[in-house]
Amino acid sequence: MTSSPDAAREAILADVRAALGRRSGETAPCVPDAARAPARTPGCTDAEIDLLVAEIARLGGQAQRMSAGELPRGLAGLVQREEIRKAVLWETPALRSWDVAGIMTGLGIEIVPAHASKEALAECDLGITGADLALPETGTLVLRTGPARPRAASLLPRVHLALVQPNALRADLATVLEELKEDRHFVFVTGPSRTADIELVVTVGVHGPQVLAAWVVEG
Amino acid sequence: MSEIPSPIDFRANSRGVPPHIATSVKKATHHLLGTRATVVGYLGDEQWQLLRQAGHELRLHTINHLDAYLAQLEERVTAAGGHVHWARDGAEANRIVLEIAREHGVRRAVKVKSMATEEIGLNHALIDAGIETLETDLGEFIVQLAGAAPSHIIAPAVHMSKEGIAELFRTKLGVDAPAEPKRLTAIARARLRDAFVAADMGISGANFLIAETGTLVLVTNEGNGRMCTTLPPLHVAVVGIDKVVPDLASLHVLLKLLPRSATGQKLTCYTSFITGPSAQCGDGGPQEFHLVLLDNGRTRVLRDPQARETLLCIRCGACLNSCPVYNHVGGHAYGNPYSGPIGAILAPQLLGVQIAGNLPFASSLCGACAEICPVKIPIPEILIHLRRRAMEGDRIEGPVASPVVAAGAAAGAFALSQPLLYEAGSQALRVVQAPLRRGTWLQSLPPPADRWTTVRPMPAFDASFRQWWRTRTVEGRKQTRARRIRIAALLGGAAVTAVAALVTLRSRKGSNSHDIQP
Repeated sequence: MTSSPDAAREAILADVRAALGRRSGETAPCVPDAARAPARTPGCTDAEIDLLVAEIARLGGQAQRMSAGELPRGLAGLVQREEIRKAVLWETPALRSWDVAGIMTGLGIEIVPAHASKEALAECDLGITGADLALPETGTLVLRTGPARPRAASLLPRVHLALVQPNALRADLATVLEELKEDRHFVFVTGPSRTADIELVVTVGVHGPQVLAAWVVEG
Repeated sequence: MSEIPSPIDFRANSRGVPPHIATSVKKATHHLLGTRATVVGYLGDEQWQLLRQAGHELRLHTINHLDAYLAQLEERVTAAGGHVHWARDGAEANRIVLEIAREHGVRRAVKVKSMATEEIGLNHALIDAGIETLETDLGEFIVQLAGAAPSHIIAPAVHMSKEGIAELFRTKLGVDAPAEPKRLTAIARARLRDAFVAADMGISGANFLIAETGTLVLVTNEGNGRMCTTLPPLHVAVVGIDKVVPDLASLHVLLKLLPRSATGQKLTCYTSFITGPSAQCGDGGPQEFHLVLLDNGRTRVLRDPQARETLLCIRCGACLNSCPVYNHVGGHAYGNPYSGPIGAILAPQLLGVQIAGNLPFASSLCGACAEICPVKIPIPEILIHLRRRAMEGDRIEGPVASPVVAAGAAAGAFALSQPLLYEAGSQALRVVQAPLRRGTWLQSLPPPADRWTTVRPMPAFDASFRQWWRTRTVEGRKQTRARRIRIAALLGGAAVTAVAALVTLRSRKGSNSHDIQP
């Protein structure tokens, strides 16, 4: 077997075409309608928020609704409960508008910058992110990543807090996927990390965060 | 695991399965089927069947236009700054990954569970080249520590008890671990955390590759998939060419089918969408992304229209859980990474029937697999098709059945197609069985038929439907008299043939180490 990279490519594509009786350069027709499924119809906003909270709670997450005014008290409670000392925050307009960084500093928490090294991020106890989109049906939060939104913020710290705005909620996965077409990297978070690899006993908090808190912040 | 040079002997492998394995496997599959039924129940059967049909149509459409989608995928991954490599077989794929590792001076690699890398034995290749390679999925980590092979697509350590795992951690990791899943998980978490941060290379497979956007999709629960594709500066993915889907919208259907079928979840904890390296994106992910597209027998599967639908598989493992045979023997008996019903149709095509021609026979053809398959692969039909390939050969591959079995099958087919010979044969059997007959059963038969009767009795040959039918009409009774005369003449000849055949078969007994036994 020759080791030219192009030879392997040509051989594989030629084999595929020969097997299927297709010509080189032939395109694929549109995906047939039969290969699509209908989307879910949403309930009213209030019911959808309640559904999201219920689903995340069912998965072992700490989910609740709160007003922007309740945020400082909520954060203080979380910091105390989970013994938080260091945190990393997404630097997004929503988090800035709630002054999350200010509240955390006020609580005596050291803020690690979003662009810090992975070693530094690994030392955080808490990562606070937004959720760009949310799927109440499955209890899923969609996190788009980027320069001020490091991937590791929702992954390395022991506790992940996602602050969700009600307008992030979407009825169905189909809508979510349509909106994300242009994104390079995003992740769906559906409950805290878990495994059942040892005798099928569900254990929460494997490699990812052990605690997932999702607060729907209204107003 | 990649080197499977000698034929897989399912019968021999399954004899060696200790009883406790069957117990843990059944417990696991029962649990998985239960959670699956619950989440599928939320959707309702009608909705679920619509989704299954859509999933089938979608995968079929993709596979039928695979060349176009592969070309599009390559273009998009490249445009996103990733590198695409093509590998005709496992050796070529391993070579490519090793070369990338060498170029980057990789010393430590972390891995996400992947069937494709298991299939090609990538771990061995890396470790042989001096690269420390760590499986990071909890089940795979345990299995790797034990120096064993995974036994279930979804739950690799399903065959091990918590006591066994605690003992393994004591001897291999030097930690005193109680036999509690939570504590054992915490030990593995602590162990692997530093490894994630220190690794030079992350290796993954993919659940889906999106042609439209060049995106790799990983469906995981533990978070190790995200760790491996986020923290190391280099991400290499090895993915079968069958994993392509047309567009992001395709996942609306497939992400509703896969987690529900695999683990009984609406969605898994993490679904990662990765397009090229993170360099342009600046979110702290890998600086370089390589995608190795693996053929390794998949184009051969494609060549056979009757078996092509094997490639629709999305690796959920539901057919394993529902299979009575898998439940009795577990994954290891299949002798290759793909076990259960899907393994019984995939392995003989990837490895050839010379190696895995045994596996399509390891099924009762009950059809539970086809009923549960989320993309409606007609597994029983393909099993029968591959049994035929193994016995008779077809345009894809020659037969592996021994000449004696093949001759017996041919003789049987001939006899069944000749009404007279058939009748003569059945008359003769009724005579021959007389001394062995106990009531309506034949308790024990001489070799080679004793392979049946050592396990269970054989029903005695009794009433002949044709004979009974003829007694119903006057014309029939006349014909019967004429036939009896002809049959008497034939019987003489048939008896001689039967004796000769029996003698041949007796002489063969003992040397049939790899006969295909239905």
